[in-house]
Amino acid sequence: MTEPSGSLDKDLIRELAELLNETGLTEIEIEIEGRRVRVARSVTVGMGALPVDAGRSPRELVDRVTAEELHHPGTVVSPMVGTAYRSPEPGAPPFVEVGSNVTQGQTIFIIEAMKTMNHIPAPHAGTVLAVLVDDGQPVEYAEPLAVIEKG
Amino acid sequence: MFDKILIANRGEIALRIERACKELGIATVAVHSTADANAMHVRLADESVCIGAPPAKDSYLNIPQIVAACEITGADAVHPGYGFLAENARFAEILEEHKITFIGPSAEHVRLMGNKIQAKDTAKKLGLPLVPGSDGPIKDLKQARKIAREIGYPVLVKAASGGGGRGMKVAHVEDELEPALATARIEAKTSFGDDTVYLEKYLAHPRHIEVQVLADGQGNAIHLGERDCSLQRRHQKLWEEAPSPALNESERARIGEIVASAMRKLRYRGVGTVEFLHEGGEFFFIEMNTRLQVEHTVTEMVTGIDLVIEQIRIAAGAPLSFNQEDIRFDGHAIECRINAEDPRTFRPSPGTITHFHPPGGLGVRVDSGAYAGYTIPPYYDSMIGKLIVHARTRNECLMRLKRALGEFVVDGIDTTIPLFKSLIAEPDIADGQYDIHWLETYLA
Repeated sequence: MTEPSGSLDKDLIRELAELLNETGLTEIEIEIEGRRVRVARSVTVGMGALPVDAGRSPRELVDRVTAEELHHPGTVVSPMVGTAYRSPEPGAPPFVEVGSNVTQGQTIFIIEAMKTMNHIPAPHAGTVLAVLVDDGQPVEYAEPLAVIEKG
Repeated sequence: MFDKILIANRGEIALRIERACKELGIATVAVHSTADANAMHVRLADESVCIGAPPAKDSYLNIPQIVAACEITGADAVHPGYGFLAENARFAEILEEHKITFIGPSAEHVRLMGNKIQAKDTAKKLGLPLVPGSDGPIKDLKQARKIAREIGYPVLVKAASGGGGRGMKVAHVEDELEPALATARIEAKTSFGDDTVYLEKYLAHPRHIEVQVLADGQGNAIHLGERDCSLQRRHQKLWEEAPSPALNESERARIGEIVASAMRKLRYRGVGTVEFLHEGGEFFFIEMNTRLQVEHTVTEMVTGIDLVIEQIRIAAGAPLSFNQEDIRFDGHAIECRINAEDPRTFRPSPGTITHFHPPGGLGVRVDSGAYAGYTIPPYYDSMIGKLIVHARTRNECLMRLKRALGEFVVDGIDTTIPLFKSLIAEPDIADGQYDIHWLETYLA
């Protein structure tokens, strides 16, 4: 850890995020020299029958993760239920990648709902810090799609 | 049969539908607003999709979001429950266009019965009894007298463009008809600028009795007896029972067959309820509800038939699985609606439930999505559950209800439980002697 504590280790997070996608896990947490980093993504569907215990259900766990992501002021959430696409057409390069610089209003995703393609614009200019959904992934209302650090 | 059903509702009814789906081996999708993320119907469903912000128009009434939720989950049918989109013909049509089955009647029948005037015309054509009266405006006193004699006193003079009780006068005997007619005309003229009046039979102390029907859209229809829902406050039912304390077996069979026969003529599909006012041994059509009702549970208790399972089977194209002769009415059932409300003023009481202990034991059923720690959101209706008791006789049923109410613990909010405890002690309730005005008078 060369960076002063408190600042964001973007490379590490990126690495973990990739690992998350590769493994299909929903959450990875590591601790190095007293600094803890957790990368998680929310799961929309296919949760299976949830056991209800007195304390907290897996759903609450998911909600907690979602809430943490939402806590970042640059989080972009889905305005609708649908299927998220990262590129304008199959095989085309994605609208944005982690590290991309975006301008306000630039299309960053397409969400298909009721056979209609809805462009999701960047709410503000900045750098894409995280992309939280895969291409073709179903998304819920208010589900975090990406984090764009204002810049 | 369907593989996956999306339930476009919330609360106890969403849970009720999930139960039926599970018993049929069908996967369930719950939809919810952001306010209901921790609701029991979401926790117990196989999958869930957040469809919008708390106001119902942004979530539970938001058709594009619900259709999109079907698309992403692959649901092949939608159960609308009651309220929200259950009687929205456009919703039924949109689902059909998207090759998703609407678990309910045809859009055409939903629309037909949703229109008061068309519904009455249809009821008349189908042979359902209506409140007798002048079919058109009253021209003069002579005509009014003639019609009043035919339908029998008391009669009600009603302004054609009336509402809210204005332009309405009762004549109990013929001598009162002339002044009633004159006063109603003047009131109608000054209030609505139109002195057209009608004449109708006046029902002073009617009961609300409704008949449950089940039809397969293939020309088969049966009735599952009646429910007495006379205990109401501001047209809000609070206590429902089956059978009605006012009907005997032959009266039940007679009105039941009139309704079943009407549904066969209509080629109706699914569950439905035909509501009547009942007075002096006669029935008068009010309206038809083309959906599952809150109080369907009392019918289930006395017939042993799961109405939601039948509804789903029929929507999947199956014919009725039994005939009228197969239906047996067994014992008595009462439902009490447990609302998060002040039991005297009925002021809503949203908040967090600190303790929740539902009653149990033989013949006791609680349909509720409430649990300890549950916070009732302020955006939706106040009903948090239903207590249903079943016993061999009405007397046993009342004793069991009293026992069950005594066990029911809901702390942290006000509920209607104390109201039901006091109703149980009323001689009129014990005797089944009540009409649609009884509760309002009792509470006044």
